[in-house]
Amino acid sequence: MPPSFNPNEKRGPGGPNAGRINAERPKDARNTLKKLIIYIGRSKYLFFGLLGIMITITLLGLAAPLVQQKAIDFIRIDENGVNVDFGGMGKALIVLAVVYVLSSVFTYMQAILSAKLSQSTVRIMRQDLFESLVRLPIKYLDNHNHGDIMSRMTNDVENISTTISQSIGSLISGVLTVIGSLVIMLVYSPLLTLISLSTIFLTVFVSGFLTKYMKKYFVEQQILLGRLNGHVEEMVTGYRTVVAYGKEHDAVEDFRKMSDDLKKTGIKAQIFGGVMGPCMNIISNIGFILIAAFGGWLAIRNVITIGTIQAFILYSKQFSRPINEIANQYANIQTAIAGAERIFDVMEADREEDKGTADFAVEKVRGDILFEDIDFSYVPQKPVLRGLELSVKAGQKIAIVGATGSGKTTVVNLLTRFYPIDSGRITIDGTDICDIPMDKLRSSIAIVLQDTVLFKDTIENNIRYGRADAAPEDIKKAAALANADEFIERLPEGYQTVLSEGGSNLSQGQRQLLSIARAVLADPKILILDEATSSVDTRTEMHIQSAMVSLMKNRTSLIIAHRLSTIRDADVIVVIDGGKVAESGSHESLLAKKGRYYELYRTQFAGSAT
Amino acid sequence: MLKIFRYLKPYMLFALLAPLCMVGEVMMDLFQPKLMSIIVDDGVLGQDMDLIISTGIKMLLLLIAGGACGIAASGFSGVASQSFARDLRVDVFEKVMGLSFQQTDKFTTGSLVTRLTTDITAIQQVVDFCMRMLIRDSLMFIGGILMMLTMDLHFGLVLVAALPIEIIVMVSVLRKAGPYFAQVAKRLDDVNSVVQENVTGARVVKAYVREDHETERFTKANVSLMESNLKVANLMASLQPVLSIVMNFSVVAVIFIGGLQAQAAEIQIGEIMAAITYLTRIFFGVMMMSMMFQTVSRAMASVERINEVLGTEPAVVSGTAGFDGKQQGTVSFRNVSFSYPDSAGRPVISGLSLDIGKGENIAVLGATGSGKSSLVNLIPRFYDPTEGEVLVDGVNVRDLSTEELRERIGIVLQKSELFSGTVEDNIKWGDKDAAHEEVVSAAVTAQADEFVSRMPDGYKSIIAEKGASLSGGQKQRLSISRAVLKKPEIIIFDDSTSALDLGTEARLRKGLREKLSGTTLITIAQRIASVKDCDRIAVLDHGRLVGCDTHENLLKTCEVYKDIYDSQVRSTDSAGGEL
Repeated sequence: MPPSFNPNEKRGPGGPNAGRINAERPKDARNTLKKLIIYIGRSKYLFFGLLGIMITITLLGLAAPLVQQKAIDFIRIDENGVNVDFGGMGKALIVLAVVYVLSSVFTYMQAILSAKLSQSTVRIMRQDLFESLVRLPIKYLDNHNHGDIMSRMTNDVENISTTISQSIGSLISGVLTVIGSLVIMLVYSPLLTLISLSTIFLTVFVSGFLTKYMKKYFVEQQILLGRLNGHVEEMVTGYRTVVAYGKEHDAVEDFRKMSDDLKKTGIKAQIFGGVMGPCMNIISNIGFILIAAFGGWLAIRNVITIGTIQAFILYSKQFSRPINEIANQYANIQTAIAGAERIFDVMEADREEDKGTADFAVEKVRGDILFEDIDFSYVPQKPVLRGLELSVKAGQKIAIVGATGSGKTTVVNLLTRFYPIDSGRITIDGTDICDIPMDKLRSSIAIVLQDTVLFKDTIENNIRYGRADAAPEDIKKAAALANADEFIERLPEGYQTVLSEGGSNLSQGQRQLLSIARAVLADPKILILDEATSSVDTRTEMHIQSAMVSLMKNRTSLIIAHRLSTIRDADVIVVIDGGKVAESGSHESLLAKKGRYYELYRTQFAGSAT
Repeated sequence: MLKIFRYLKPYMLFALLAPLCMVGEVMMDLFQPKLMSIIVDDGVLGQDMDLIISTGIKMLLLLIAGGACGIAASGFSGVASQSFARDLRVDVFEKVMGLSFQQTDKFTTGSLVTRLTTDITAIQQVVDFCMRMLIRDSLMFIGGILMMLTMDLHFGLVLVAALPIEIIVMVSVLRKAGPYFAQVAKRLDDVNSVVQENVTGARVVKAYVREDHETERFTKANVSLMESNLKVANLMASLQPVLSIVMNFSVVAVIFIGGLQAQAAEIQIGEIMAAITYLTRIFFGVMMMSMMFQTVSRAMASVERINEVLGTEPAVVSGTAGFDGKQQGTVSFRNVSFSYPDSAGRPVISGLSLDIGKGENIAVLGATGSGKSSLVNLIPRFYDPTEGEVLVDGVNVRDLSTEELRERIGIVLQKSELFSGTVEDNIKWGDKDAAHEEVVSAAVTAQADEFVSRMPDGYKSIIAEKGASLSGGQKQRLSISRAVLKKPEIIIFDDSTSALDLGTEARLRKGLREKLSGTTLITIAQRIASVKDCDRIAVLDHGRLVGCDTHENLLKTCEVYKDIYDSQVRSTDSAGGEL
């Protein structure tokens, strides 16, 4: 076994048997397996070629001991002492060498082909998974844990890859070896076969029994280790609070107790784990002694020959060796199928619906938006919008305000069709957005969100996200308009600076300026600013504010904000309350009205207790 | 490097017994092929039933003895390695719990967590491996060679020819594979980061209709990952066949030499078979050892990382003085400068002096990066100033025992940190002996009671995943309850009310004033509206104190303050007249 195949290295703290013990069970194994086979089946020839090679290797593996025995048999002992037939032995050794060479050549081919099969299968699978992923509705992503989705792409796919390249091979060759050995043994002597089988039953029984105990302690060890690591995580990430409240000693005490428990269980687990090897060793040697003794007894009675005994000793070993392996691989395959099930779940999730066929020219959009009698809920029976009516004229700047949870952001989610409306309709320039092809609809809208989204790429390419065919000059111009050019030029590599993940090498304010530049470059008729400045401090905000003013020029803009400074300059302020527009008007007129806005204003902006 | 193994010292007895038992197991194991050869040569071929049975029983007894030794070895090494890991773990954790923030910042929390979890587990496994597997395999290797040579010295020829080839092939392939593996890891990272970006940034991808672009980006990353994976696989594919062909040709050679020696009546058939068994064990030993070396060298990186933590001396050393009791609840900054060690000497705070009196209600205001948080972090000695001194109750904080100092200060951090346990457990961090009524009353003051009592299990509700199910404002209010329950002389709010709406915040401040009338309150805030009623407002700009006065006076005298004010509430006067 080459070193890279050592399963213990990857699995980490679980110990040598973790793989088997943590095996999960798929919900619908048969169906998933079918789909998985279709994937593997895309490389049909590869698969059947591989199968043929594996059968050949197994046959060669079964033949080798026979030939080896034959070579040794040319050493004859008779009354005249030892007599070696070197001619015959030489021939046998040449055959043996050929068997070995062939077996090595085929093993090499098997390794290459199975790597190819597994890699090309999982490449297609990854690709399909990703393509489904980018077409999933936002609703799916909002409702599923992101870490969980990520782990499907990484762990689950990786599991399938190792299973295809290793487990399936071991399983097939294991089963073939067992069957082959059994057949050869039966041909030699059914009686001795029976004796061999008895030790196999002993093996299965004892290992099953021991595994049960081992499992108990290994699982316990895993749980304790998880708890201990959880404590570490919590105390180290919350270290400031720990120190502020002088809880260091308590934390160490708790940790000491957990470490003690882990140690005790760890020792027990290890002792039980250490029993398995010697027990299996003893059983397999009992088998050897039984065959030797019983075979010897039969040989004395001339029922079988001595060569038969020797062959038997060899094959009974071959026979029992893969049994544990098969059990292990079976568990691995089950885990992989469970993973495949999770992957297919994502692939088969409903994709975004796009049935729009209306003739809609992005360049000719004016930007009149109309929300008519909109009902919407994220969770059934918990309506967020109830009969919302809203009209925005082309070129208007409108600010949407309301308490947390009032549905401000929902308006954005609906206009961009991130979520489908329950009832009612939204139109742009009179066309129902459901009739507009999705790509055209979204191309006519640009959004700037509170949480900036930047990619691990150059600044230039991040801005170019707004318009794929933009020339470098356009990008610079857009950045200048967004007040971003200045800081970009001050970076050592300017526009070619590669951002780290999430743009963490820039400040929050700079990141926001980049997303504004992106929107400037996209140059759509409709603009949405969703709490775009809420996570920067007020002085940075002034800077961004002026960038946004130039961005909003000549566009229909929807601004969602909780900062007064952002809202005040809007043409119309719309207050959403109870899923409807409660009131609308200019800042001054709404304050004078002393209604919902006035109330919000007092509590949110002026800070007087109500 | 090896000083980490002093942790093994108390368990030396077990650590030595384990390999000793291993020797026993290996010896029993090594005798087995020999006994088998007796059974075959003299028993089966000589048709001697009694010999078969007596040797068989001998063999079984040896096996049982060997097995017992093996079990004992794994038991001893289990005791040694688990105890070693436990002591090491506790020591490292204790060390980490004594680090200053400057040091934890340098290590980063993520890295500290990895060191305490993954690294220690890796080291433990290697210690266990070394005690058992490494010893076992090297013994097998040496013992196997000895046994083979005792049968016939000519077998040595085979080993001399084959072993070097085996070792060279293995070492060269593994060496070549190293960089390939690194490449695979990097490309896997690339694939993951594209996925990550698309999962978290889905709204932007969709809004700009860039699904096809992203798919293309992914395809590129995916294909290069496959290519590197195949490169590794193809390289590794050659390893096993080459190794087994070397081994198998050695078997052929052993049979041939065995034949020659048998002809010369130097050796028996069973012995040839035994020699084949030894041969496979020797080769297996070599393979396992090379694997061991890989594992050990990988673990060495872990050892280094752990040693780094163990070798760090706490930067903030507690003083020994107690309080003299003359003053209570006062804080003074005397010409304080502060810079973070890695910021190339750029001062975060420079030459700042400020006196805060008992029971004062003072606010600290300034733009991001003006040094507000750094300033208050100096009070409980989370950091030490680079110049000047900080006095609490008239005593330099460096001279005070940090435990006593921090007992007098309650700090509510910018990021609320909650811990697993119930709501009540979390609040009780402020005072673990507090009665339930006191906990509730602290929560009432902190405006937390209102939502806690609405939770299904009230104060007994379990906080999971660091309070993921709570809103930012709720988490902040729980952290504040904690500080209120502590009843310290000084409470610091480090921008810890940012997620509260102003109405709630105003009620909170009113409650605090009533309940903690003698307590000094230091508040860092972004919004002027939340602090304009404070006794004084200290305004920071680029690490300097540019004003400290009441709201009204600052508006007249402080330019920076006026700027901030304008950006937040410009034109409010004309519109609402509230301010």
